[in-house]
Parts: sequence; structure tokens; C-alpha cells
Amino acid sequence: MSNEKRSKDGLITFVLNNKALLLMLIMFLVCSMISPYFMTFSNIRNVLRQISTSCVLAFGYTCIFSSANIDLSVGYYVGLLGVLSALLDTRTSLPFALIVVITVVVGIFCGMLNAAIGLVIKLPMFIVTLSMGQIYKGVCYVISNNSPVSGISESFKFLGQGYIGFIPFPVLVMAVFGLIVYILLNKTIFGRQAIASGGNKVTARLAGININKTTLLVYLISGIGCAVTALMLTGRAASAQVTAGQGMEMDAIAAVVIGGTPMKGGKAKVVGTFFGVLLIGLLSNVLNLLGIDSNYQYILKGVMILIAMTLDKVSETYFNNQLKKAVEK
Amino acid sequence: MSREYEYLLEMRNIVKVYPGVRALGDANLRIKEGEVHGLVGENGAGKSTLMKILLGAEQPDDGEVIFKGETVRFKNPADASEAGICMIPQEISLVDTTDLSENIWIGREKKFAKLGFINKKERLQKTQKLFEQMDVDLKASALAGTLSSAQKQLLMLAKCISFHASLVIMDEPTSSLSEAEVQVLYKMVRSLVDGGASVIFIGHKLEEIFEICDRITVLRDGSYVSEHEVKDVTNEMLVEKIAGRKIENLYPPKDRTFGEVVLQVKNFCGGQAFQDVSFEVRAGEILGLYGLVGAGRSEVMRAVYGADKHESGEVYIEGKQVHIQSPRHALENGMAMVTEDRLQTGIIADQTVRENASVAYLPQICNRFQFLDKKRELRDVEEITKTLQVKYSSLAQTMSSLSGGNQQKVIVAKWLLTKPKILILDEPTRGIDVGSKSEIHKLIASLAKEGMAVIVISSEMPEVMGMSDRILVMRGGRISGEFSSDEMSAEAMTKVAFGIH
Repeated sequence: MSNEKRSKDGLITFVLNNKALLLMLIMFLVCSMISPYFMTFSNIRNVLRQISTSCVLAFGYTCIFSSANIDLSVGYYVGLLGVLSALLDTRTSLPFALIVVITVVVGIFCGMLNAAIGLVIKLPMFIVTLSMGQIYKGVCYVISNNSPVSGISESFKFLGQGYIGFIPFPVLVMAVFGLIVYILLNKTIFGRQAIASGGNKVTARLAGININKTTLLVYLISGIGCAVTALMLTGRAASAQVTAGQGMEMDAIAAVVIGGTPMKGGKAKVVGTFFGVLLIGLLSNVLNLLGIDSNYQYILKGVMILIAMTLDKVSETYFNNQLKKAVEK
Repeated sequence: MSREYEYLLEMRNIVKVYPGVRALGDANLRIKEGEVHGLVGENGAGKSTLMKILLGAEQPDDGEVIFKGETVRFKNPADASEAGICMIPQEISLVDTTDLSENIWIGREKKFAKLGFINKKERLQKTQKLFEQMDVDLKASALAGTLSSAQKQLLMLAKCISFHASLVIMDEPTSSLSEAEVQVLYKMVRSLVDGGASVIFIGHKLEEIFEICDRITVLRDGSYVSEHEVKDVTNEMLVEKIAGRKIENLYPPKDRTFGEVVLQVKNFCGGQAFQDVSFEVRAGEILGLYGLVGAGRSEVMRAVYGADKHESGEVYIEGKQVHIQSPRHALENGMAMVTEDRLQTGIIADQTVRENASVAYLPQICNRFQFLDKKRELRDVEEITKTLQVKYSSLAQTMSSLSGGNQQKVIVAKWLLTKPKILILDEPTRGIDVGSKSEIHKLIASLAKEGMAVIVISSEMPEVMGMSDRILVMRGGRISGEFSSDEMSAEAMTKVAFGIH
């Protein structure tokens, strides 16, 4: 193979392995060409702050997908956690730090409850989380009495609106949580085992992996992510909306999949998830800057996911052809 | 337009490449009208692939298929069936919950349809008539799920006849048939041929090939080797053509000394699958476990390994009783198992070679803080795959791109990294090419020589006799015979396996 062809192949391989990154760079380019307000410090910072709640959720979701699981209830228990934390903040005199801890603990509980029910009853997680979602939704409506909870404390608002230096607090949280998830999935035995069990549950179990343990842990992490997301969401809105969080799992799923973590598990791309979330966020941002109706964003989001998935299919075919050619020589 | 043709079917220079493996390099096949043609070759020789291409289930990368004098390219098996080429697969899958007539005419319901409604009575009658013409004792209204293996064969034959097939492909049709049923099958094949059709007979049992076939084509490693008239060739010649070398010492020598008893299993019971199984294995010994399909061998070993539950019984490792309730316990106690179904339970297809190799020994390379020592992982995996001579281009390659033989080696590597004292291998060379087969045999022998206690479950008589120091034969879930090295003989073991006295 000539040097030219070799470097062309190398380039194509790079492109297909990092499609989320490249799509994002293209997006950046397009956006900066479309709107002069785009490439400003305050706009970029804005975008990052906007995506931080979805991003934390999506990081948690990366763990779930990479282990071949699913959770359709996250949107609902994010709402529940928001209402719960706001109620604790406004109706009790508990210190805020404690409220944060309680919220995280309840988040962990919800996540692990999903996992436990699935493991004990041995129903597919799709069904389990679909039903649990409705339960969380109901609980949320009940404890909030169908009305938003407002008047939260300053420390609470800081979670969603505060700054550390010139960096918005949520962006910091997003970075830290992302780093933690990255380390967990890529550097620890738990991560390797969870991803392996996603790749092939039977083979993983036969290799001595405790599937129950990895499943519970995966949902635990996701639960923490949901709690953090709920706190930031509530902080930013300065109130807990009853329907907050609903539909967030859709964005999370889209971002994770675009980022390169397949729904059937076996692989985890945390950085890809970030790019996926950013991509969707940039889309909203540029459409907003152009003053386009937000309804169009839904359509465009869908189109973008299709493009990413098609690129996935194309890359698979391309790699298979490369292997074929290698064998034919 | 009917042309004059010398051969009913000609497949010329067929090439088929899958990602990472060349299944067919230069395959040829010539079938005459009205003949039974045997297609032989080792596992991996390309027989199934060639047939898939003929039927249109796969498309060739090069070469051509000429049927009745015309070049053809079927888009799918239904196309091929319409043209008169039908296949009876090795694993026959029917719609168990519907009757035989529906199974035969599946996909062709239009023949019995008026204005969208199907005339079931007509279909049943036509099917029953077909059975009568074939002189076969089947009821068209019977449910497919009630059929025995032999009856399923006959049903598929009936289906071929209903297509007015001029070419019928039979893939290992006798693998689950009794002696009497095999004779019935031969009768059917002969009457098919007398009626003008041709049959391609794919099989591994050479005695059968010699009995039923007129001519034979040999494939090896994806290429055409030779074509013979059955009367012109002997067993030895054929074996040599199939394997590509003189069959001398296929198996490594059994010059091992045995140590202490490492594994002892007492009165193991697992419901219907196995009862009252007791055995022991010493360090350095290879214990073979032979028996027919369904005898309970895999079930027992899986239960001993903790992959499945058992009802009662004890397991002792190095004299100490252990309670193994999951594969994790087994591994912690130094026992590992290579499962029967490589693709479903042995590998994680989408993950890399490295990840597959290290997945079982992760606890050994993780520190107090749960962090993995990736450098050590890389070193260990490189070393073991080199020792086992695994052929790969990079450790980051996906497992699914490796050949069957190499996949199996990576699986063995996976277990070896856990440093087991006991290694169980269930059909370790099934579906693997001849070259890798022999390498795995040598590997197993060297592991035993180093002191490992090895259990090999195998359904291949030559393999289990060639590898084992001692053989246990199972039948109906129980151990029905034990043979030492001197006592081993094919007839004796077969008798015990079949329960013949």
C-alpha cells in the first residue's frame, strides 16, 4: 500500500472513531459563521452552563448503557429529587449540606431500587424502569401537591447559578463528575467488569464477574448523577417544578449514543458523551441566537441523531471492508 | 430455453471473504444429473459457506454458479428453492406449533389462497398425498413439534419434493439418527435420485459417504482439493486428502506422571440432567468425558464449575470441601472452564482481544483502591498470547475478527491467566480448523505435563481417545463406564455410550 493510501486510511479511521468530536468541531465552525455572537466568551460559557445538567445525567447514563442496561425513570426521579430537596430546604431547618446528602442518598436509593427490582423479579430493565418511572412521577406529584416549590435558600441557588471565579459552578460540577465517571469506567476493576457484562452477560458471569454487584453499582452511580442534576436544575430555576426533568432521559440517550457508547453495551466513551451533549446544546444555542422557533430544535435534534447513527453504520461497514482487504492480500 | 449441459451444477472458482478470514479461496464443485455427490472436508473447509452461496444466502466475492447450463445468482434461498435447489440443514427449525402441511408450504400459501383466504383442507390433502407418494408414515395434520429428528428429516425431504427440486442438499443428515432411521434415509435418497434429482450429501462419517455416494468432492481450507468416483478411492486416500497430510501422530504422547488427587466430586445430582456422578482427577492427568449428545456431561461440569445449580453432592479441591455456587467461587478455588459454545458464552464479540483475555483475572491485577494495573495487563496478555501462538494483528482488534481457532486460544489464555489448578474443556476443538485443532491438543497436553488436572469433554472418539489418560463414559445422566489407557477401545466405549451389552 502506498504512503498516500496509508495516510488516507489512517485519516478515515480517525474520523470514524471520533465522529462526535468532529461533528462538534464542524458545528462550532458552522455556528461561528452563522452568528457573530457565537464565538464570544460569555456565549460559550452560557452554553456550557446550559448543558451541565443534561451532561451530568448523561455521564451517569454512560455507565448504564455501557453495561447494556437502560433506565427510563431518570427524568421522573430527577423531578422527584428536585421537589424533595426544595421541600426540605423551604419547610425544614435542616442545614443545606445535609439536604444535599439526603438528596444524593435518595437518588442512590431510587437507582438501586430499579436495579434491585429488575434483578429479583428478573424482568427486563426496560419494563421495570418504565413502571418505576410512573411511580416516581406519582410520588413527586403527591409530595409537591401538584404545585412548584419556590423560595429556596441562597446556598441552594448557588448550585445552579453561582460562580467559582469566572467558572459557573454547574460547569465545575460537570467537569468533576465527568472525571470521576471517566476514572471509574476506564481505570477501575468495577468499570471493566461492568462494561464486560454489557458486552456479554453470560461470558462475563462465567469469567467470575458478579453481575448483580455491577448492575447495582451502575444504577447507584446513575442515581448520584440524577441527584446532582436535580439539585443544579432546582438551583438554577430557583424553584422545583413538578414536571422538571421529564424527558431528560431522551436527551441523555441521544448524547450517549452519539458519543459512541452503544446501547448494547461493551464499550464506554465518556468524553464522547460530553461531545454528544455539547453538540445538542450547540444546536439549541445557535438556533436561539438566530431567533429560530424552539420547536424546530426537536426536528433538527432528531436529524442529527440519525446522521450520527448512519455514520456509525458506515464506519462499521468501512472497518469490515478494511479487514476483508487485509485478508485478501 | 433448455440448453445441453454436461453438469447439472457447476460452481467455478468461488471466492468468499469475511472480515478477517478467507472462507473460500478457490472452490469448485461439479454435480451430474441423477447422482449422490458427497461433499467432504474438515470443519472450516468451507462446505457450509459454499452451500450458502449456492442457495443465495450469501453472495460470492468472485466466481460463478452455473445451474442447468445457465449462470445463476440467487438473491435468497427462496429464490433457489423456486429454481429447484433445496437444502435440508443440519439443525432443522420448524414452526412447532403448526401442522406439517403449513410447515411445508410456508411462504407459498398463495397456492391455496382465494381472495386472501387460505384453503387449509386443500393444503392438508395435497400434503397427505405427497406423504403417500413418498411412502412415508406421516400425518399432514400432526403438529411439527411432535416430530422426532428422523421424521423432521422426512418432512424436509417432502418439502424439497414439493418444490420439484432437481438438486437437494443434505447437511449432516444422519447426525441424530439411529441405524434403522439412517437406512430409511438412504432409501429416500435413492428414490429421489431414481426420480431424476441429484443430492449433495455433506457428512463427516466416511463410512456413510462410501455407502450412499456416487462421487465425492474434497474441500480443504476453502479450496477445491479433488474429485473422485467412490469406487476409485479408499478411506486412507480420502482422509489424507481431507487433512492434507499423512495421519500419523495426530495426538501428543501420553508420557505424564500423576500427582495427588486435585478434584474429587461425590454423588453429584442435578435433577433430570445427571444423577449420582462421582469421579476424581489427579494433578497432571487428562480425564476424558465421552458420551452421546444429551448424556449430561456438560451439565455435570457446568454444575461443578458453579455456572449452574445442582441439588446435592460434594466437591473437594485438594482434599478440602468447597461450596461452589458461582463461577467466581470456582475461580477463587483454582478451577476454570472453557465452555462448549464459544461464540455465545466464551467470548465478548465486540470487545478487543486484550479485554477478552484479561476479563477473568482482573481481581489479580487490581490494587487496594480498585485501580487496574494496565501495564501489567498488557505484559501478561502479550506474553500468554505469544506462548499460545495466537494469530492477531493487534491486541486492540475485535474478538469477532479472529478465526475460530484463534478465538479458542484467546479463551484458553483467559483461563490460564487465572492460574487454575483444574481446567475443564468442553468440546475444545469443535468447529476449528485442523491446524489449530492440533495446536490446542498439544497445548492441553503440555498444561497437564506442568501439573494441571485437566478434564476434556469430547464427542469425537479419536480425540477423546488420543488425549485422555483415563475416560469416563456417561449415558442418561450417569457414569456408565470407566476406561484406563489400556482398556480404551472405540467399540467398547461406543457400546457403553449407547447402552448396548
